[in-house]
Formats: sequence, structure tokens, C-alpha cells
Amino acid sequence: MSIVETDTSAATAPDQRANALVTQLREQFGDQVLCEQATLTGMPVLWVNRGVLVEVLATLRRLPEPFEMLFDLSAIDERLRSHRHGLPKADFTVFYQLLSVSGNRDIMLKVALFEQDLSLPTVISVYPNANWYEREVWDMFGVHFEGHPNLYRILMPSTWQGHPLRKDHHARATEFDPYTMTVESQDKEQQALKFKPEDWGMKRHSEHTEFMFLNLGPNHPSAHGAFRLVLQLDGEEIIDCVPDIGYHHRGAEKMAERQTWHSFIPYTDRIDYVGGVMNNLPYVLAVEKLAGIQVNARIQTIRVMMAELFRITSHLLFLGTYLQDLGAMSPVFYAFTDRQKGYDVIEAITGFRMHPAWFRIGGVMQDLPKGWDRLMQGFVNWMPPRLKEYEKAMMENSLVRDRTKNIAAFDTENAFAWGVTGPNLRATGCDFDLRKKRPYSGYENFDFEIPLAHNGDAFDRGQLRIEEMRQSVKILQQCINNMPAGDYKADHPLTTPPPRERMLEHIETMITHFLQVSWGPVLPGNESMQMIEATKGINSYYLTSDGSTMSYRTRIRTPSFPHLQQIPVLMRGGFVPDLIAHLGSIDFVMADVDR
Amino acid sequence: MAYTLTRAEDAVAADNASYPLGKRQSVEDPMKQQVHRSVFTGKLADVLNSTVNWGRKNSLWPYNFGLSCCYVEMTTAFTSPHDIARFGAEVIRASPRQADFMVIAGTCFMKMAPIIQQLYDQMLEPKWVISMGSCANSGGMYDIYSVVQGVDKFLPVDVYIPGCPPRPEAFLQGLQLLQDSIQQERRPLSWVVGDQGVYRAEMPSQREKHRDRRIQVTELRTPDSV
Repeated sequence: MSIVETDTSAATAPDQRANALVTQLREQFGDQVLCEQATLTGMPVLWVNRGVLVEVLATLRRLPEPFEMLFDLSAIDERLRSHRHGLPKADFTVFYQLLSVSGNRDIMLKVALFEQDLSLPTVISVYPNANWYEREVWDMFGVHFEGHPNLYRILMPSTWQGHPLRKDHHARATEFDPYTMTVESQDKEQQALKFKPEDWGMKRHSEHTEFMFLNLGPNHPSAHGAFRLVLQLDGEEIIDCVPDIGYHHRGAEKMAERQTWHSFIPYTDRIDYVGGVMNNLPYVLAVEKLAGIQVNARIQTIRVMMAELFRITSHLLFLGTYLQDLGAMSPVFYAFTDRQKGYDVIEAITGFRMHPAWFRIGGVMQDLPKGWDRLMQGFVNWMPPRLKEYEKAMMENSLVRDRTKNIAAFDTENAFAWGVTGPNLRATGCDFDLRKKRPYSGYENFDFEIPLAHNGDAFDRGQLRIEEMRQSVKILQQCINNMPAGDYKADHPLTTPPPRERMLEHIETMITHFLQVSWGPVLPGNESMQMIEATKGINSYYLTSDGSTMSYRTRIRTPSFPHLQQIPVLMRGGFVPDLIAHLGSIDFVMADVDR
Repeated sequence: MAYTLTRAEDAVAADNASYPLGKRQSVEDPMKQQVHRSVFTGKLADVLNSTVNWGRKNSLWPYNFGLSCCYVEMTTAFTSPHDIARFGAEVIRASPRQADFMVIAGTCFMKMAPIIQQLYDQMLEPKWVISMGSCANSGGMYDIYSVVQGVDKFLPVDVYIPGCPPRPEAFLQGLQLLQDSIQQERRPLSWVVGDQGVYRAEMPSQREKHRDRRIQVTELRTPDSV
């Protein structure tokens, strides 16, 4: 109960290295670096002038311990924000979050923009994966990026009017006229989706051959959901391809601006929809930072246990579909049988299968039921022999090997350039797992290893996940053996919902309880952020609170978004069956891309 | 039992016509009139119709179409622990032209809606639609700018399955309800025989049907033990 979370990533005291870096940038760029913003994000947040943005980014990219990866890029509509003391004036802010794997640290740059001049230079030359992020900012906020090669809408249909994440854009569908589709409008929308190679700088034919343009999706059995990929083909060979996303955009970030801090939790489940409570974790951790809640060891351990259980079920789904995409029929039946075993445990503990929304601000929904350990032990005993069998029956299968070895291989450099994280990054041999590098929620107390591979091909990505499942099983066993005692909710006024027993004490506590449940907790105005090692890579929630019952801006950085952006680089010159193998090996769900 | 009548010739794709195309009218069971005309041919038509319906409902080929989370639970119903083959619906087709029914398993996005309509149009009659999960039923928890508030805004839906997402068992129950409804349908036996209208039975609401039994439950299992 008294063990306090030691959160190394969110050290509130700015550390020496960060200070040195800020000083260095100030020396080099003088008053172009406007100010440093104090936040709870655990990283230096610098406001810089638009003129030096590209130069600052290039400098950071070239440091001896470089910021190799553009981790996230998005914007905030600042026009209605009241808690922004000491910050430069701005109507819109575009932020660039960089990640240094070698230095294991982050930095965020912010640029202030004004309504009459919403324009920025593109940073694709420094970080190639800025391409899609900039398109998203254009789509959602209407910020123009000069020099961007194809600044089209990415999430919304090209016929859409307005920019949804602006504060003056409607949020609810029911605020608008009811949806109708006529023959004419259907035809118009379909025409708007027509692919024009010239828009993407593609030629329709070469000297010798006329290229074929093939639509793979938006509904294709191997596309894992509503995902469209337009292929430029010369026979079986892929000359180039253009991924087209946005068919699964549920507006989760806008949704966060109209749900209470508490009632947004169920929406997080549906981001990476096979990750279940794993999605709750970064959100509640970020909210707890804003609220100043520290949870006890039992809560931490319960959260880790459930998250790891979901990692296993997610990886099992991956394994089944990955092999099915390669043409193997039976693995999916085996994998789903195991998933069912996992869901039996999940359901007994949380009461729901896929989206339990079981974590709470300052705790979990309820204590573990009596007899949970017996069920969990059953699952932990069940898995290892199955994993062994999968390895033997599937990964040693020569057909699987031929289809995946050296297919869509990339190295660590390429992974950094395209923002690849998680198992796909570790398959290139890069040892970067947040559970070890920046332990959160008590991961430092567990004994487990981070599996690595070296070729970074479709085979390694599959093999590595089997190994990850083994490690997760190991973590589950430790949870069963050492589950700490204690409360399932933290003793803090902002814990939501508050402990029920407290409500019945007197009228004062009753009123507080009522307000917190109906209006929701009021969090102090600040910014916080939490990254976690989710099932598919690094997932983070960057929360901006304006001192209200709702979030002012919630930025959800999902791992699958950059993973899809990388596809064309890997597939140029490949063959169609290799593409299918690669799509299977990425492990993405479209909700994790489009949010 | 009341029936809803639709006719293929009513579905004219004029530019300003909105989906779902065609007229729908409430009518009585057409088979009743048959019996009034001649008991023998009426009975014969009835038996033939039932036989054809029996064949149709037990060999439904689903279209392999998924939008979001619900699709995972739908796939779970296809795999061995739930085994959809028990209901004759395991022949999953990747092409709409070969499929009998389409499950809108997931959120219906405005960007996706015209595509869903096209895929539906590509399916051949007889065809059915199951709306799986809250999003497809009504928009569910996604009352947001990019989501159509229910797929029935443009597609005719036969069965609605509640849940977010529904369990695989719920999907299987929905499939069985569709089968029940198909058994009651009246479709032309051939394009040269008799009335060419499609009569769909108006099936009773499950919520009302089971209400009495449900409200009798007074004690729920405690969540404190497994």
C-alpha cells in the first residue's frame, strides 16, 4: 500500500542533460528560442520561432546522441484556452516531439501560429515520416505546410468541408443534418476516391510497358480492416504504392474534448481494439500525472497483469492472421482457441471480453475476484506448450520461411526514419522497450527479457512476437506469485469514481461524490504525457488540461500510423505476395491508425 | 404475420433518389390469398416455398467484410470454439458476388459508406444484411462528425445485434434469427412463376419477447468471485 510509484520518465525535476541541451540550443539560436514551458510531460518543451524550426530540428537530428525519430507531430487549437500564462501568443500551436533512442530521452518543440497566416515549412527533409503527420495537421486543423509534395486530406474524405479538430468545427454527428445518401452523392464520393497517378507523381506507363493500377482495399481480406493501398504494377512487380487511410477515423481525439476525463476511458479501449485495457494504461497514467495521484503496488501489479494478458491475446490474433495471410488455414483456429482461454480469464476478472474499460483514474474498477489466481494459473500453464507447438508447426515450416525470410526487411536506421517502434523495431536488433528503458506502472519489479531479432524481415517480426508472448506469460506468473495486498483505488480526492464507502459518511462526502460522478473530476490546467510499450509499438497520450472537467486537447500517438506510412519504401521492387506477407507481419488494426 | 413487400422494379436509381432505393409497404401474408384461390396449388406453393427457404437458410454464405472491433468477434464466431459451421454459414466469400449476406461488423464511417453501398449493390439477390454492434445499429458511442449514425440510414437491415462488441454467441444468435426470418420469407420461385415481389416477414422484437422472463431475474451473480 505504501509503495510509491517511481516514475522515471516523468521526473518533475528537470534533469541535467535536458538543461544542458536547452542551454546549447539557446546559445546556438539566441532569442529565436522563445521560452521553455514547464509541463508534466517529463521532457523539455521549447517554443521556437517558425523561421528556425527546420534548422533546430536538423541540429537535434545531428547531435552526438541524436534525436533519431520524429515521434509525433500534431497541433493544438489554442483559441479557447484560458490557462496559458507565460506562453507565447498563439491561435494554433504545432508541436514536434522527438525521440532519442540512443540517449533515451525526448524533446518537444512548439511553434506558435496565427489564424491569418497558418503556414509552416515542411520538415520532410529532416524526418521523412513527417509527411503523413503534416497531412493530418492540414486535414484536422487547416495548417498549410510549404514544400509538402502532396498535402491532401488524409483522414477525412477529400470532399469534406472544414477542419474537424478546430474548436469551431462541430463534434457530434447529431449536431448536423441527419446523414442521407442519394444515388448522386454516392457516385460523387466514389468519383472522389478515384486514384489519379499524376497527383502522386506517378507515370501511367514506362518506355516498354503500361502500368496497371490495382486497388487493394478499402475492403480486402488481407488488408486487416478498412485500409486501401493503390499499387502501381508492372506484372507482379510493385513499382510504387500509395497507402490510403482514413476509412476508420472515429474522431477519438475530438471525442476526448467532449467527454469527462473519466468517461473517455471506454474510448481508449477502442483505439487499438485488440489491446483492450492496454489502451487504458497510458491514458490513466497521464491523467494521474495531471491529478497528482500515486497508486499503490497492488494497483500497479493488477494493471500490468491485465495489460500483459491482453498483449498475449493481441499477439495471438496477430499470429493467426499473419499465417492465414500466408495461406495457412489452421493456425487461426489454434490461435483463437487460445484467445478464448484468455478471454475466459479476462471476462471473469473484468466482466467483459474485448473492451473492458477496466482501469480507473487512481485505480481499477474493482478488486480481483476470489479465485482469479486459479484461473490465471490455468492460462499460464496452458500457453507454453502451445507456443512451442506453434514454433514447431508454423515457424519451422519451410513454406512460411520461404514466404517471409528476407521479405520486407529493413534496418534500424530505416525504422528510425519512419517512426517504427515496438516489436517491428526490435526485430531489427534495436533494444528499445519502454518497459525496460523507462519502466512505468512497476515494470521495474518484474523479471523478464526483451526478445530481439536481427534481420528485420517479415519472419523475424513473427518469430519475435512468439517470444514476447513467452515473456508475457513469465510476467503473469510473477503476478500470480507476488500479488501485493492493498486497496484497488488510491486514497486521493481525484480518484474517480471515489470509494463508495466514503460517500455514505456525511452530506459533504455525498455531494463531492455526486459531483465527481456526474460532472467528473476537475483537473488542474497543465500538460502531461505518458508513453507505454503497447501491443503494436509505442502508444502515448499527450493531454492538455485547461482546468476543466474535460480535456482541452488529447493527442493520441499510435504505433500503427507510422508503420503503414513505411510500406511504400519497403515494397518498391517487391512482388504482390510479398506485400501480403508484409501486411500480415506489421500487426496493425485500422482503429490504431485512424483513431 | 405481417410482411414487408419490396419490388425490384421500384428500385430505380434516379439521381436524387436516396438509399435504400425502392418502396416498402406493409402487407398481409401473400400465401393466404393463394389458399383462397385453390387449396391444392396454395398448399403446393407453400410446401415448395418452405423447402426453398429451408435450403437457403441453412447454407448462408457470409461476405468477408469487416469494419472494426466487431469483426474480431465475428471472426471468433467463425473459428473452432464457436464453430459457425454448425449453422451452415462457414463458407466465407471474399467477393460480394458470391455472398448471401453481409454483416456490417463495426462502425460505418462517412468515408466508407459509399463503398459499403457499392459492395451491397454487387451482392446478388436473395441477400440480407445483419447490423452487428452498437455502431452499425445506431452510431453507438460514436456520435461524432465522421460516423454515420446507423447503417440503416442507407441499407435495409434484417437483424440488429446489440453489444459493443457483441459476443460471438450473440452473433450466432443473430444468425439464427436471420435464419428464422428467412424461413418465413415469400420470394418468387422463379422469374416466370407468379408474383415477383419479395415479402419479408416482420419478425417480433426479441426485447419484448423475452422481457417477462428477463424481469423475473431478481438475483444476479456477484462479481466478487469467479
